[in-house]
Amino acid sequence: MTLPGGANALNGVLLEARHISKRFSGLQAVGGANGLSFSVDRGAFVGLIGPNGAGKSTTFDLMSGVQTSDTGSVLFNGHDITRSSTDTIAEKGIGRTFQTPRAFESLTVLQNVVAGATSPGESLRWAFGRSWRSHETATVEAAEAILRRVGLHERAAARVGDLSGGELRMLEVARQLVRDPTVLLLDEPTAGVHPGLQERLAQLLQDLHRDGVTLVVVEHNLHFLLALADHVLVLADGELLAQGPPADIRADPVVIAAYLGDGDVA
Amino acid sequence: MNWPQLLVTVLTLGSIFGVVTLSLNLQYARGGMINFGIVAYFAVGAYTYAIFTQPPPQGLDQYKFGFGWPWWAAVIVAGLAALVFAAVTGWPTLRLRGEYLALTTFAFAEVFHSVLLNERRIGNGTVGLARVERPFGDWGPIEEKYVFAGAAALLLVATLVVFRRLLVSPYGRALDAIRDDETAAMAAGKPAQQMRRQVFLISAVPVGFAGAVYAMFTTLAQPSLFTAEVTFIVWIALVLGGERSVYGVVLGTLGLVFFEEIVRAWPFETVRSAQIAAAVEHVVTGLVFIAVLRYQPFQAAATRLRASR
Repeated sequence: MTLPGGANALNGVLLEARHISKRFSGLQAVGGANGLSFSVDRGAFVGLIGPNGAGKSTTFDLMSGVQTSDTGSVLFNGHDITRSSTDTIAEKGIGRTFQTPRAFESLTVLQNVVAGATSPGESLRWAFGRSWRSHETATVEAAEAILRRVGLHERAAARVGDLSGGELRMLEVARQLVRDPTVLLLDEPTAGVHPGLQERLAQLLQDLHRDGVTLVVVEHNLHFLLALADHVLVLADGELLAQGPPADIRADPVVIAAYLGDGDVA
Repeated sequence: MNWPQLLVTVLTLGSIFGVVTLSLNLQYARGGMINFGIVAYFAVGAYTYAIFTQPPPQGLDQYKFGFGWPWWAAVIVAGLAALVFAAVTGWPTLRLRGEYLALTTFAFAEVFHSVLLNERRIGNGTVGLARVERPFGDWGPIEEKYVFAGAAALLLVATLVVFRRLLVSPYGRALDAIRDDETAAMAAGKPAQQMRRQVFLISAVPVGFAGAVYAMFTTLAQPSLFTAEVTFIVWIALVLGGERSVYGVVLGTLGLVFFEEIVRAWPFETVRSAQIAAAVEHVVTGLVFIAVLRYQPFQAAATRLRASR
């Protein structure tokens, strides 16, 4: 099945899961009898929702190489990335954040973002020389601009241990943005983020969407997500329960019965 | 007490072990790998140097291999041999983490030590190789011991400069990121496995050089010189100096070697008192180690320094 794009969907498919599944200690986390299948078009803004334990974060893990699918395949730009390592997938252009924010504790906020970029100086061949320095200056400037964009520029010199949970989430987003990803998988980006930063995040996601970045966002804050996404996937027990535009999802009785409840999507 | 002699010995041995501690620091503090078998790489360097410099066997010689190479060529081969040994031992072990890697590397070193003890044709078993070339000699008015101390210190400084250059580059920052959170670093495109393997290999090379210099200094490559005690001494030096600072690591090693050498050089009047002092030395080293772990003075100082910037 293909998400927005209509007749041209096949040409527009950027990321695709075909019958993927994952079991942990005998428990099915993702994929039922036939596995989980869906696809994301280039430039789409897809919301991935479902109750706790539905398999949303595990799906992200399978698409980003953090876990390997037991069955089926994950395709990016038509290439099989099912068994690719996380760093290889990141280098191909798939960025992701995590349900529990992750940061490099020994580095400052700015260094965390700079560390997100791929620098020539990270290659052993160039690390001993000095030619990476000019690239480094440009990376630092880009990182500072991104920190301004996510509202963390005043915290650039802070240690990550001094950040709030919401700031850590924004830092993760910033660390991926500096990589200029083709697809961004965001796992609960608003959790713990105060309303002011949420507004900034919403604006940022809209800007990224407009710039052509493909977004897949796992989110429990449905008011936030359904106002932004142009297509929604609903997972339950690791299987695809429903999909469609936000308005259809809001009105889908199966979704309402299984997950949303009548008050949540008003 | 002969203080000049003591200080020269401290500088020589401190520099040699300082190189090993610096390599351990790169592996552990930056690469996140616990290597409890570092002595094996040190021994590989020493034995390689001995084998490549000693003359071919004659008459009653037990060993079968001696190439009579010049000292500088043998030092290079010693570094390369440590690199190859790290590649061979790193391949199966570096998928492991934490205490599992520590135990596996320790086991590797113990197996290697056992091989050195029992193998006679290459390393000459427990007797070892005693015809090790000490190449420098007196340089004009400068006595050999000073030349030697200078050479060891030069190796230490060279290792320090090279490692520091690596660590201040984006490569070092990527290593920090991998050590802090491997999954997040990989999600940021850092090839964690590959970089960890590179660090393991790079850091083995100076250890091989240090082993060669140690063999020159002792004019001996013998299993009794390469026991697990060497591993633990450099680990203690690493902890004493503060794992986050390459300069602290060097100071920690020099301090520990100074302490050991002063006990060794003290003019005790009886053999019994010297034996007691040797035992007390181990006890004091252990107590200092525990105190440093408990109070972490160097980490506190580093935090204060960072806060004051």
